[in-house]
Amino acid sequence: MSDPIQAVRDFIIERNPKLGEVPDDLDLIDSRAINSLAFVEFIFLLEELTGEPIDPEALDLDDFRTLAAIQARFFSQKASL
Amino acid sequence: MAAVREIEPIVLDLNRLEQMAESGYYNPYTMFDWPDSIEPDKPWMSENLTTLAGTPMWDELTREQQIALTRWEAVNFFSLNIHGIRELMSEVVMRIHEKTYAHVSEFLHHFIGEENEHMWFFAQFCLRYGGKLYPAQPTLKVASADHLSPVAREMIVFARILIFEEIVDYYNSYMATDQTLPPIAREINRVHHQDESRHVAFGRMIFQNLLGQVMKRDPDEVPLIAEYLENYLQYSIGTLYNPAAYRDAGIPDALALRRRALEHPARIEAHDKILKRTRSFLSKVGAGREVIRR
Ligand SMILES: [Fe+2]
Ligand SMILES: [Fe+2]
Repeated sequence: MSDPIQAVRDFIIERNPKLGEVPDDLDLIDSRAINSLAFVEFIFLLEELTGEPIDPEALDLDDFRTLAAIQARFFSQKASL
Repeated sequence: MAAVREIEPIVLDLNRLEQMAESGYYNPYTMFDWPDSIEPDKPWMSENLTTLAGTPMWDELTREQQIALTRWEAVNFFSLNIHGIRELMSEVVMRIHEKTYAHVSEFLHHFIGEENEHMWFFAQFCLRYGGKLYPAQPTLKVASADHLSPVAREMIVFARILIFEEIVDYYNSYMATDQTLPPIAREINRVHHQDESRHVAFGRMIFQNLLGQVMKRDPDEVPLIAEYLENYLQYSIGTLYNPAAYRDAGIPDALALRRRALEHPARIEAHDKILKRTRSFLSKVGAGREVIRR
């Protein structure tokens, strides 16, 4: 996937068609764009995009709050290569 | 538990279900014949019920991988049961002596007791033959129904239990008579199916009672509930597709495979079959997906 953050964006819009677009700083959790029922799918998507397993015991909610945070936590090394 | 005070007392006619629970009472700790091991060529779960059934992805597996997949998906299925039971027991225990539930407390005692026993035999199977349980899926600590009223949230607690039990029962009732399975796997499914028919009957009654309370208070909330329930159906189906089970069965690219399988037309048809009974019940009582406002 050439732009993983776009895949994340697509995932969110597909599940929240009313949203229209996803600003980088939208709080995905408080806005319920990602609720606990979608969370498992979301983790699987991130694992697939990064190729790295995510340890459910070591989850920090703040890593998932915004697209900006997701970019920084999961895709920043790849982006700089 | 402050929310419970806003719920009207729940009165249901449970005499028949209570009598059945008493007369059907059994000792789970002595009733099963646990073999030391299971013949290596036997599936642990019906092949038709695996998450790749009906797709080319199943046909592409070696026979060894197919058998391994039935085994690890059986362990996943029983593990999901165990985690589901842990969730529902903790919810029900917290309510069992609340005033709202005083009239149904007797049945809830049977319910909790039976679920504890189910949890025991499911875990026995996984640990004896699979050597492990799969861990519970990660959850957000934020509640998914925070946007709903207390009565609706109360209803959601019992709706989750009901939906979970109905999906499980689809699998149990099929495997209860599948002659390709080893006797112990068949037995566990059969015994569970028997108890669950009472739980599902109860679940539908209490769901309708609470849904009625929601409708009386604010009918506009029903579409939001229907949306939640539809999401929960989809979520529940998703949990059956565990990438860890694919990996344990020696199948590569577990996550991509999972994604492809979930979208495959044969699987979508299978999901519709699994959910058919629950969907028509929800539609009948007015909380089906057709009332969602898009
Ligand atoms: Fe059960
Ligand atoms: Fe049950």
